[in-house]
Amino acid sequence: MAEPAGAPVSMVEEPLDLVRLSLDERIYVKLRGDRELRGRLHAYDQHLNMVLGDVEETITIVDVDEESQNQSVHTVNRKVPMLFVRGDGVILVSIRPCLYDIVL
Amino acid sequence: MATSQLLPLELIDKCIGSRIWVIMKSEKEFVGTLLGFDDYVNMVLEDVTEFETVGESKKVNHLEQILLNGNNICMLVPGGE
Amino acid sequence: MSERQQQQQQQQKTEQPVAKKSPTDFLEHILGRRVFVRLNSGVDYKGILACLDGYMNIALEQTEEYVEGELRNRYGDAFIRGNNVLYISTA
Repeated sequence: MAEPAGAPVSMVEEPLDLVRLSLDERIYVKLRGDRELRGRLHAYDQHLNMVLGDVEETITIVDVDEESQNQSVHTVNRKVPMLFVRGDGVILVSIRPCLYDIVL
Repeated sequence: MATSQLLPLELIDKCIGSRIWVIMKSEKEFVGTLLGFDDYVNMVLEDVTEFETVGESKKVNHLEQILLNGNNICMLVPGGE
Repeated sequence: MSERQQQQQQQQKTEQPVAKKSPTDFLEHILGRRVFVRLNSGVDYKGILACLDGYMNIALEQTEEYVEGELRNRYGDAFIRGNNVLYISTA
């Protein structure tokens, strides 16, 4: 965290290296359609297709009340032992998320 | 019958250094000074104003220098404003 | 160097506007700096640009995520898939 601004992450020359460094680690994936995944990264390819294990999926659903136009947000969680993610749905992959969750 | 026609990207090349108006596929527009671009029409713009139409209102944002992804560009208008 | 070569070089110099900057030049300029990334969805990220490739895939350090201008999340290192990127700006 005390790295000087602009110091390169060691061994990261292209963005996908960051994903390579997370192999076998637990990662956070933000997907299109308000979906989030937390799981262990078993494999990935150049499209960012991924195989994740021990996955917890969180779906955020926004309900709009027809009469009052009030919005209510709720989330649905489910666990999947193993899944394949198609790369084109991926927005963001985060590594070391826990470190910052604690700070928040 | 060889008419001297200006290729689309040659037109954009002539705009380098000038103001340009970029209209995106979505309800977004940018006006800025074109510093450069590549074959995908990714563009480097300077002194940029970003406009977003949300219903009736327009959101405006000012940016010093940006690299705009060419993927979602719909139209370009030389001159700007 | 022949006279002609010199002439050509001179010509190139005068023809090239000083401010001309290709996407590659811009990226070299902002590498390692604080940047502001806006996605097509309107979500914004601020962080230090670690690296990026031809697809506009981006690796950010000390990343902050903003939704409607409000800080929502922080990530240590973040990979952003390029197809979602609207623009990258100097912070």
